[in-house]
Amino acid sequence: MKQVICAIAVLACIMLPAAVRADVLVTDLSEHQIAIRSNFTGTQILLFGAVEARTPGSRAADRYIVVVVQGPVQPMTVRKKERVAGLWINHDSVTYPAVPGYYAIASTRPLEVTAEPEVLKALRIGIENINPGIPVARSIEGAAQNLQPEAENAFWKALIRNQRRDGLYINLPGGVTFLGQTLFRATVDIPANVPVGLYTAKVYLLQNGEIVDTISSPLYIDKRGVEREIYRMAHEDPFLYGLIAVLVAAFAGWLASAVMNRR
Amino acid sequence: MQIYLPIAELPVSILTILAMGAAVGFLSGMFGIGGGFLMTPLLIFLGIPPAVAVGTQATQIVASSVTGALAHFARKSIDFKMGTVLLAGGVVGSFTGIYIFKLLTAIGQIDLAISVVYVGFLSVIGAMMMVESVQAIRAARGGAVSTRRGGHHSWIHGLPFKVRFRRSKLYISVIPPVLVGFFVGVLSAIMGVGGGFILIPAMIYLLRMPTNVVIGTSFFQIVFVAAVTGILHSVENQAVDIVLGFLLVIGGVIGAQYGVRMAEKMPAEQLRALLAAILLFIGLRLGYDLVVTPDDLYSVIETQVTR
Repeated sequence: MKQVICAIAVLACIMLPAAVRADVLVTDLSEHQIAIRSNFTGTQILLFGAVEARTPGSRAADRYIVVVVQGPVQPMTVRKKERVAGLWINHDSVTYPAVPGYYAIASTRPLEVTAEPEVLKALRIGIENINPGIPVARSIEGAAQNLQPEAENAFWKALIRNQRRDGLYINLPGGVTFLGQTLFRATVDIPANVPVGLYTAKVYLLQNGEIVDTISSPLYIDKRGVEREIYRMAHEDPFLYGLIAVLVAAFAGWLASAVMNRR
Repeated sequence: MQIYLPIAELPVSILTILAMGAAVGFLSGMFGIGGGFLMTPLLIFLGIPPAVAVGTQATQIVASSVTGALAHFARKSIDFKMGTVLLAGGVVGSFTGIYIFKLLTAIGQIDLAISVVYVGFLSVIGAMMMVESVQAIRAARGGAVSTRRGGHHSWIHGLPFKVRFRRSKLYISVIPPVLVGFFVGVLSAIMGVGGGFILIPAMIYLLRMPTNVVIGTSFFQIVFVAAVTGILHSVENQAVDIVLGFLLVIGGVIGAQYGVRMAEKMPAEQLRALLAAILLFIGLRLGYDLVVTPDDLYSVIETQVTR
């Protein structure tokens, strides 16, 4: 019985008229790996693709493309300064368990035009819709405390503001441009202070306020060469690393005095 | 030209770092100081994380104090016995300082602590030096020289564990030098300084060592305390950036050569007044930042994952 139903379902799919099938995306990134070497000062990635129209009469003007590039998540703490005895000191803090270290969003049109806020929120599209997990608020003594939602929101807003200032959260309405009816492209800045790790570049195709197709591609950002070796050694064998750093410095000091004495 | 620092995880201009190293090296050669108290705030101003600034600074201090110690070794102006006693206290102090540093980082108050300690020490020492050097300049002009060294050697001589320090011509308890060394070790680990600016006055006024062995002995102690501090910062915080350290050392070595020559041309009192002015300026600058309302009351850091 089950098999019969399945067979009917499959048949139904095949026999559906082409008009009901949605448009599909074909995309790629200019690079799937970004190497951080000693000359790294930030870079750009180019994301390009095409919409394969399967619906007769559909035009570029009806399609919206949204590109989201997101970096690895990590716990982050936001601290608020307060004046205590005349000095500004870190007071209350809120820790978010899973904050993307990088988040860039580009779209053909401003997001408000592209889809309903609920749709964007459900799909976590847009900087305001990032889900950083359940926050933990702490007082200056380190004890957990409850914050009013609006107070907590001020911390979250501050985090976004901070990340934007550092060029790590990027919002580019109009950052995706169509070349003709089907081809589109977007360039996204990768600043020098990006966290390393696995990134995902997601492309959404929206029509009439709904997601029609999505493609996700991975992007690795990692230290390479000398940078990688130094970082690896500093973390895997910190004693030897520290010893070498100190010995190199001591040698430099000796060399300087040897050169001075010769004169 | 930019270079990406592997541990600080940001690109910096090579020329800026070399110039900073040279400028601080110049002053350190001119005044015979380590220069850590100048370099650490400069690095933090530049955006280097405080932990990396302090940890990396330790390697730079090793380089400059090795040069200094070798020069004094050649002149036989190091009291090795006293240096070793100071060092014993210094190593324990360094361990303690690293522990305090970690604790303050965890509760988010390390920036505040570094600033407050800097403001306190720089303004007090700067003010004292300024008063003293202005008096010396006046005295030199007026011809009336009155350099008094207060003569109360009461309580220090009452302490137990007395040891004879031949080179310093002293017979005193080991407790004061161990405590002085300890204190300087703590500061070295928290502030990223060698601590000569505390050690030298303490040796002269508290331990009453003869001035000719003070600087050499201080260099001797600083070499090893800075080495221990550097290794500990690497082990505990992975905060030593060898690329940054290397650039600072190169700049520092070059700058120091010119600083030493410059110092030979300037009278000692005016040199001290100038150093005092620099100390006061940095102290006030850091103090101003603590008091003035910041642009953004909120700050964000990656939460340290405790392993």
